Amino acid sequence: MTDTSTTSLGSEPATGGSAARGARRLARRWAPAAALSVAAGLLVGLPLAVLLRTALEEGLGPLLEATASAGPAIWATIWTSLGATALAVGVGALIALLTERTDAPGRRGLRLAMLVALIVPGYVAALGWLNAYGPGGLLDDLFGVAAPALVGPLGIVVVMGVEAAPIAYLIVVAGLHSRAEPDLERAARASGASAIDAIRSITMPLLRPVFAGAAAIAFVLSVTSFGVPAVLGIPAGFTTMTTRIYRDLAFSSDPASFVRAVGLAIVLAVGAAVIIALADWLLERRRADRSGVFAGPIGHMGQSAPGPQEEGAGRRRVRPRALAAGAVAWLVVGTIVIVPLLGLLSTALNRAPGLPPGPSSWTLDNFREVLDPRTLEALGNSVVLAAAAAAGVIALAALAVMARRGRGVGLTGSLLGLTFALPGSTLAVAVLLAYGASLRNTLLIILIAYLAKFWALGYRPVAAGLDAIPADAYRAARVSGAGAWTTMRTVVLPALRPMIVAGGLIVFMFGLHEVTMSSLLYGPGSATLAVVVLNLQQLGEVGLTAALALVLAGIVTLAALPLLGRTGVLERVGWRR
Amino acid sequence: MTPPRRGPAVEARAVMVSYGETPAVRGVDLVVAPGETVALLGPSGSGKTTLLYAIAGFLPLSGGEIVIEGSVVSSPTVSLPPERRPLAMVFQHYGLWPHMAAAETVAYPMHRAGVDKKEAARLASDLLEQMRIGHLAGRRPAELSGGEQQRVGLARALARRPAVYLLDEPTAHLDTVLKADLQSELAHRMRADGAAAIHATHDVEEALAVADRVALMRDGEVVQVDRPDDVYARPVDEWAAHLTGPASFIEGEVAAVGADGAGRYLVRPDWARLDGPLPARVSDVRFRGTHTDYRLETDLGSVLVREPGPARLDEGAGTSLAIERVWRM
Repeated sequence: MTDTSTTSLGSEPATGGSAARGARRLARRWAPAAALSVAAGLLVGLPLAVLLRTALEEGLGPLLEATASAGPAIWATIWTSLGATALAVGVGALIALLTERTDAPGRRGLRLAMLVALIVPGYVAALGWLNAYGPGGLLDDLFGVAAPALVGPLGIVVVMGVEAAPIAYLIVVAGLHSRAEPDLERAARASGASAIDAIRSITMPLLRPVFAGAAAIAFVLSVTSFGVPAVLGIPAGFTTMTTRIYRDLAFSSDPASFVRAVGLAIVLAVGAAVIIALADWLLERRRADRSGVFAGPIGHMGQSAPGPQEEGAGRRRVRPRALAAGAVAWLVVGTIVIVPLLGLLSTALNRAPGLPPGPSSWTLDNFREVLDPRTLEALGNSVVLAAAAAAGVIALAALAVMARRGRGVGLTGSLLGLTFALPGSTLAVAVLLAYGASLRNTLLIILIAYLAKFWALGYRPVAAGLDAIPADAYRAARVSGAGAWTTMRTVVLPALRPMIVAGGLIVFMFGLHEVTMSSLLYGPGSATLAVVVLNLQQLGEVGLTAALALVLAGIVTLAALPLLGRTGVLERVGWRR
Repeated sequence: MTPPRRGPAVEARAVMVSYGETPAVRGVDLVVAPGETVALLGPSGSGKTTLLYAIAGFLPLSGGEIVIEGSVVSSPTVSLPPERRPLAMVFQHYGLWPHMAAAETVAYPMHRAGVDKKEAARLASDLLEQMRIGHLAGRRPAELSGGEQQRVGLARALARRPAVYLLDEPTAHLDTVLKADLQSELAHRMRADGAAAIHATHDVEEALAVADRVALMRDGEVVQVDRPDDVYARPVDEWAAHLTGPASFIEGEVAAVGADGAGRYLVRPDWARLDGPLPARVSDVRFRGTHTDYRLETDLGSVLVREPGPARLDEGAGTSLAIERVWRM
């Protein structure tokens, strides 16, 4: 944007030291991009290079052989993920249509519940389902109803589906706003179509690529999910790729299993990258396909002309059809979000397993007992890691902003795109290979993995904010006498502050409940809270696990509170984890 | 313009619509006769679209009722779904379905009405021919210009053969030439059809040109309903006068034009001419192609005068003024 001649406009006339000044200017323009490249190289490039080199050193034959020996785990991952995807898209689309296209009462509450479901990590959800619907769970205690199949592949399918459903929901909601403006349905109604006809002949065909994109993302989330198969698969001896990697790295010093972990990590990364590329293509394709003025900002029509589905009109009676829609929506959301959390709460409060739930058997003992010094140390680790990751990501995001104003725009974009696609398990294996020799069992190695993984997450809202600053804002600052750097300091960064804060909070939140990478990288003294929850569960400490999972969910929700109020922020995160 | 023999095509009685606690339409009464075109003229946010959506059945009423062809279709307790009302709509943003080619789009209402596929396709291609876009039948909205898109939107509405057309700023996003083109297209089609139409617009020239009567809307209320020449010549207040065209106001004795006594009067630019009994000074001159606007300062106030041809006076020049007609506010 700024070549040398424009930069020198308005500065002092070039005299003797112009060569030195030119060099300094050049350095300043390239410095952020250079720093960014170094950071990306250390955080992502080097670990991946080491991962690939390790794989090649082993030789392709042994690598393929080792990977093939994990065939059942790969197959298990694929079919459970397919099932979970179908469930996630079905539930997400259903709730999206009910909240966006009907007068269902309590729509605001439904949207909030879906956002809460987005925040609750998968392993907490899995524990919630166990304690709500499993043997000895809340429904068992109350009505004698239990689903023993929860532990095992079926439970994994259901809970991974539920875990991905909020994201499918958000994608479909965004798709409804950007591709199926209410006026298109109105035009169908005014052409003689019934409400159902309009959905079937107009909305559904328009959303087809959105469903496909949501399915691809739900599939990636399920394939890379570790928490759910760890909680519901390991006790049943049912292994997926991520839990296989976990076991191969954590419980075995056998070289063959190490090679297998490396091979699986690569297969996982390649698979995820292919599907994410597919999702991008599906979701971006036909953006330009929209009719004339509709190509404007998302939700443009919805705002200018509120439909019946907006806040409704006056204090009128709720119609029976709206009531039915509300009942369906609340039933689904209650089943997948509210009852599991109640199940956790009930178990955490219960004095002993088997006692009927009620005030007489309630106690805080589980909370008291679980918050011992070791847990508190883990809590401290999680908070420190999350805060450090947030601070680091903010610094990296600021750097990326500056680099984008200078040179190397495309580079930043593609580097960040790369980290999006990397599964946590792969990243953890790669970081362990690259830095394990010197940093094994330290918090620092976990932090490196967090930074690599969450960088993109924190940059996403910032990039969106950056795109929203009109080019004329820069030009106006420059013609008002500000240099390139003054413009950055006085115009760009202040405008981005809310986005930067949001990005930081998001990273903090995800850092607090991260489990996939920390479970592979922790050592004595560097366990995170999530790791302690998993370990407690594997020890069979039902009440303690539930109590700690609730504590964790509570802390995460607290961190997320400032975000819940801002519409759009979490939606953007939800895109990819 | 023939007096209604049957009942009115559309009748709004004390219609109220609110978004949450915010009233958007507050007690509108409006009668549209069969074959009549009524323009809803008002600034954005005055409730035009809300009223159209209420008539179409997209928004529930919080008060009053809407009657179409003799039956109540909307009231706080009744809401006939849009597809069962005898009306068609043309949308400001066209409302074309991105996944459908023009021919499918126009055939859609006929499919819904149960016309068989072949017949619907034939009728659709006829309509597209009539709209002079027959050659674009296979194109999707993204491959059409704004004017072409709105022609498809109009053909879709015509395909429904309704008793009432609802037109929501149909030309708002078209440039001047296309706008004039589509306006005459609309007027001809509506007249040929014999259907009633309610045409929302913020463009005064469009409203005056297409409508049999014009309803002025302000803050969710209809403040005046009259023939186009009457809303232009006899606005109910100064706000209405400004809305319906260039307006100057003078104060004092204007005995010359037969007005009785002192007061405040509206003067339209075509009601006054240069060279007359009233001394004046030119404060602004704007050449506008077909005519020139002069702003003249007089003892009675500032008056805008319009004269054909290029400017013949400079700013600051002394001149004189004749006022031939006024409207007492």
